Amino acid sequence: MEHAMNTMNILDAKRSARQQPCVRAVSVLLAALAMVVTASGAAAGPREQAKRIHDRIAGVPPSAATLDAMATDITAGRPQDAALLAMDASAFYTVTLKNFVTPWTNRDQTVFAPLNDYTATVIGMVRDDVPFNTVLSADLVYVGNSSLGLPAYSVANNDLYDQMESQGIDLKTGLVSSTQSAVTGLPPNATAGVITTRAAAQAFFVAGTNRAMFRFTLMNHLCRDLEQVQDTTRPPDRIRQDVARSPGGDSRIFLNSCIGCHSGMDPMAQAFAYYNFDSTAGQIVYTAGTVQPKYTINMDNFKPGFVTPDDHWDNRWRQGPNQLLGWDANLAGSGNGAKSLGAELAASDAFAHCQEEKVFKNVCLRAPGNAADRSQVNSMVASFKSSNYKMKQVFADAAVYCMGD
Amino acid sequence: MNLATGSSLDSMKTRGTGVRAVFGALAQRTGWLPVLAFLALAAGCGGGASTVVNPIVDVPAVPDYIGPAPANADVQAFKINLWQNIKANNRCGACHAAGGTAPILFARNDDINLAYQDANGVVNLTQPDQSRMVIKVGGGHNCWLSSNQACADILTTWITNWAGAAAGGGRQIQLVAPPDKTVGSTRNFPVDSSAFASTVYPIVRQYCSRCHQAASQTPQQPYFASSDVDTAYAAVKTKINLDNPAQSRLVLRLREEFHNCWSDCAANSDTMEAAITTMAGMVPVTQIDPALVVSKALTLYDGTVASGGNRFDNNVIALYEFKTGNGSTAFDTSGVEPAANLTISGNVEWVGGWGLNIKGGKAQATTTASKKLYDMIKSTGEYSIEAWIAPANVAQENAYIVSYSGGTMARNFTLAQTMYQYDAFGRSSNTDANGQPELITAAADRDAQAALQHVVVTFDPVNGRRVYVNGVNTNDADAQKGGTLGDWDDTFAFVVGNEVSSNRSWTGVVKLVAIHNRALTEEQINQNFQAGVGERYFMLFNVSQLINVPQSYIEFEVSQYDSYGYLFNKPTFISLDPNAMPGNITIKGMRIGVNGAEGKVGQAYIPLNKSVVDAQYTALDGERLSNIGTVIGLEKGPATDLFFLTFEQIGTNTHSVIEAAPPAPPTPADNPPVSDVGLHTFEEVNAAMSQATTVPTTNASVDATYQTVKQQLPTSVNIEGFVSAHQVGVAQLAISYCSTLVNDTTKRTALFPGFDFSATLTSGGGDLVINPLISRAIGTGLASQPSATAVHDELDNLIGRLCPGSTCTGTRTATVVKAVCAAAIGNGATLIK
Repeated sequence: MEHAMNTMNILDAKRSARQQPCVRAVSVLLAALAMVVTASGAAAGPREQAKRIHDRIAGVPPSAATLDAMATDITAGRPQDAALLAMDASAFYTVTLKNFVTPWTNRDQTVFAPLNDYTATVIGMVRDDVPFNTVLSADLVYVGNSSLGLPAYSVANNDLYDQMESQGIDLKTGLVSSTQSAVTGLPPNATAGVITTRAAAQAFFVAGTNRAMFRFTLMNHLCRDLEQVQDTTRPPDRIRQDVARSPGGDSRIFLNSCIGCHSGMDPMAQAFAYYNFDSTAGQIVYTAGTVQPKYTINMDNFKPGFVTPDDHWDNRWRQGPNQLLGWDANLAGSGNGAKSLGAELAASDAFAHCQEEKVFKNVCLRAPGNAADRSQVNSMVASFKSSNYKMKQVFADAAVYCMGD
Repeated sequence: MNLATGSSLDSMKTRGTGVRAVFGALAQRTGWLPVLAFLALAAGCGGGASTVVNPIVDVPAVPDYIGPAPANADVQAFKINLWQNIKANNRCGACHAAGGTAPILFARNDDINLAYQDANGVVNLTQPDQSRMVIKVGGGHNCWLSSNQACADILTTWITNWAGAAAGGGRQIQLVAPPDKTVGSTRNFPVDSSAFASTVYPIVRQYCSRCHQAASQTPQQPYFASSDVDTAYAAVKTKINLDNPAQSRLVLRLREEFHNCWSDCAANSDTMEAAITTMAGMVPVTQIDPALVVSKALTLYDGTVASGGNRFDNNVIALYEFKTGNGSTAFDTSGVEPAANLTISGNVEWVGGWGLNIKGGKAQATTTASKKLYDMIKSTGEYSIEAWIAPANVAQENAYIVSYSGGTMARNFTLAQTMYQYDAFGRSSNTDANGQPELITAAADRDAQAALQHVVVTFDPVNGRRVYVNGVNTNDADAQKGGTLGDWDDTFAFVVGNEVSSNRSWTGVVKLVAIHNRALTEEQINQNFQAGVGERYFMLFNVSQLINVPQSYIEFEVSQYDSYGYLFNKPTFISLDPNAMPGNITIKGMRIGVNGAEGKVGQAYIPLNKSVVDAQYTALDGERLSNIGTVIGLEKGPATDLFFLTFEQIGTNTHSVIEAAPPAPPTPADNPPVSDVGLHTFEEVNAAMSQATTVPTTNASVDATYQTVKQQLPTSVNIEGFVSAHQVGVAQLAISYCSTLVNDTTKRTALFPGFDFSATLTSGGGDLVINPLISRAIGTGLASQPSATAVHDELDNLIGRLCPGSTCTGTRTATVVKAVCAAAIGNGATLIK
């Protein structure tokens, strides 16, 4: 009720004294909120469950007809169908998914970033039930439907997606599948799903050493920041020269901190050795066979460090405590380039769990927090994999689990 | 001492220009000392000109040299470079002079040629630092300074100067077989976690679990405070030193780094150390695992000194290598008198492997001793400041690293750091008394890094200042150009790590400082960069017992990297038997062991898989196994840390290493209950209002409002994060949508069919407006929403309150409909999901 009181105070503040009659409208808000709070404690029937599913999936209230249809499905013991019905709403794509994905596409992890090819590609993959474990490796990008009169996809700017957003294009219908190799000029084997989208390149391949791409991919798709995967016992032979082994004259810092992340990260981030983002041209750069100069900057920080010769990567985390991330035994754990690294990451149990956890949090409005939740997530992971990594399945499972009793 | 006085000069005079020519050649070969001697001699040769007092010599006088002239140029080089410096009564001359008590009279002043003969028996001109004279004095034999090392270094410099350039290049290090030592015993972690569980675990569980467990809100590896003791035990092993509990990271983190102490860091670290000591007491000392394939062991100092540093020091006038390791004096080992030794004050610590860690203090010479810089640099008009440094951070500003100055407003020169940039102040005829405008390296280049760097500032009269980092010119042009040094001040003091006024503190490690009275060329600078810094040894790990190659070793170039670690570099397979060939030896999975145990961290050669074959092997250089270097943590110190190597395979000896599977993560604790409902976020609010009112989000009016309030609307679903500003934004957006709706006759007609906006509106007569709004925005027949009746009544009451006398007419009707609409779509029932 305190929030309700706040609500009233806010509107009080908003309206001036001469608008006194309008202030009374606040009472409606107060009353409505009070009733909601009261009602939320009541047992939920099919209509209430349908309303919540729709609210959580689409972010907007259902129409009366949709609500009725969903309630019917729930009553008939088909709550999954009700959830899929909610996904017919354009808002699921234009609002829910867009805001779900946008923070992954920039370093600030802000949701207030423009629509871009990274976000659009994920939305398209969800819509078309593209197996989501290809999100880090596919030669895929979603662009605007040509019938909409939008600018063509450009490797040099975000105009297409800016226009889609400003024109309020329905992302449920306005996106069509294409390939990065067709629209960006990247060789097909140099494409790696969202990793090689323009937005990701602009955010994570720009300047620096390309380690940002690895770190943010880890955060966004394996739900782990480096602190959670650091392992000081991996061999440091692949750590590049730019990492000081005695920062500020104290090698303890390296041996107890730096090495924990770099010993695993550097051998994997080597996969991005041919990529860069040209800020002037505004586009991704790929130099097949030639390591980007950013991989050899500050080489005198530790001359006997590793000098990157190519884009060969190795997953050192298949040994040690990080084998708990659940790597796919059918993959080699090493390879060349971003595409195979993306496949390695997306084939891990941690990747599948991460998608479940993200969706669970988005739909249930909380992280999995008890035994029942964890069991549900595990069951969703199994369902996700058995459905060939359909993200809609994940949203439906989570929405049904949290639709209320 | 005056080189231009005494009978030696008189005797030389008789040799005429021939001697002068010899001296000229020597001057080119061996640097400034011969040059000065030559100048002094030349003055003498002029006949009648008064003698010139050499200002840099400060050796107690001895009886004038009265013996025969040097027999040749080498004797002359010995005389002016070494003999002149050691003949004093407070140095070697006390015993090694004619009539002295020592058997070898290399400091005798009756016959320089005999002294030369004796000296040849105690010097090594090829490896001056290996001279018997140097080793003897370095070992404590009558050093005239407080540091034996400093005496040894100075003697080395003098002998090097005697040897001239011959000592510089192409020197071969003679590898010497180290003594065979067997790998020691140690305490190894038991398989079972019970010792840990009863000692250390309760402490870390209580005080470290806020972060160091997976279930933490802010999880931080390693998870040694995990709720599962086996998980914690697996993670804690790298943080505990059973052989030396005080050196455990768990202890040092509290004691020295003050990392999240729970009360008093000293007491907490004692508690932790006591617990680890108790735990160690429960673990028996064991010999190294007999299954391991191990090399013989040796300490750092059992290695062969790698003194191959071909530094270009021909023009050095002050040199600090910080080798002493203790005390309050950093010696000037340039051999150029007077020695401008630095007095250490404030927060400064010695660094293992040579160096000073400056943490706010400074190391400063006297103004008297510093004056030699003034004298010698003014005589050439150019100089170089050379330093091997590791800035502690790249956040410090106005941080003076090396300075010859008199306060913050007056200086001759200064090398400073400003975050990622180096600053070179240098007083000349083209700058002010503070050496400004200073030359600053480009910010974008980020030349300064918090890593060991070789930094050189040169000044010459034409180009002015130049900065070189790690042997490379930063190409920052000196706008002031060169100039003359006529305005230099000889009352300043030379200082390292600060300004003389102690208010320009630089923090970091300085491992070498050299001042040259010439502008070094880029080639010379690069030579000094390539020469490196610090003590280095070739460590030979004997593997003869493992393979069928006589006197075979794995050689590492090892240095003490800093106070806390060793650098192992350039692993090479080599046999000291020049006739031996390796055949074909496979070396795989090499690990570096310390004090009986393989270290867990820094094992860069685990992935090594190399075949040593005859075709790649040479008797001189062996065969390099890897170009990668690695840092291994220091445990007990360089004198006692006993290193060895283990192999997964060397030759036919194999040992399989199988890593234990990590324990399964424990079940995390349940999160506290949170609200079952949450807030619609900004774009959902916008979309819902658009849906309720049929006004598209792209409508210019509502979009303008939305863009204004977008970041004011809820961005998190957390209902506990709801604040008043959110509702203000919701209300503004609701009004915008409803205003646009009601102003659009088509849309309002479609949404409110039958309602006449030009007619009178009374309380109880608004159903045509209220009911569609409830249906679209709030829903009906939902127990989780307010009842339609209650909402209807409230909205109807609103009409009554907003319409004077409960009746609206004219434009007021539309206005009130807007208000009713805004109340219907912008309330808690639509904001909560």
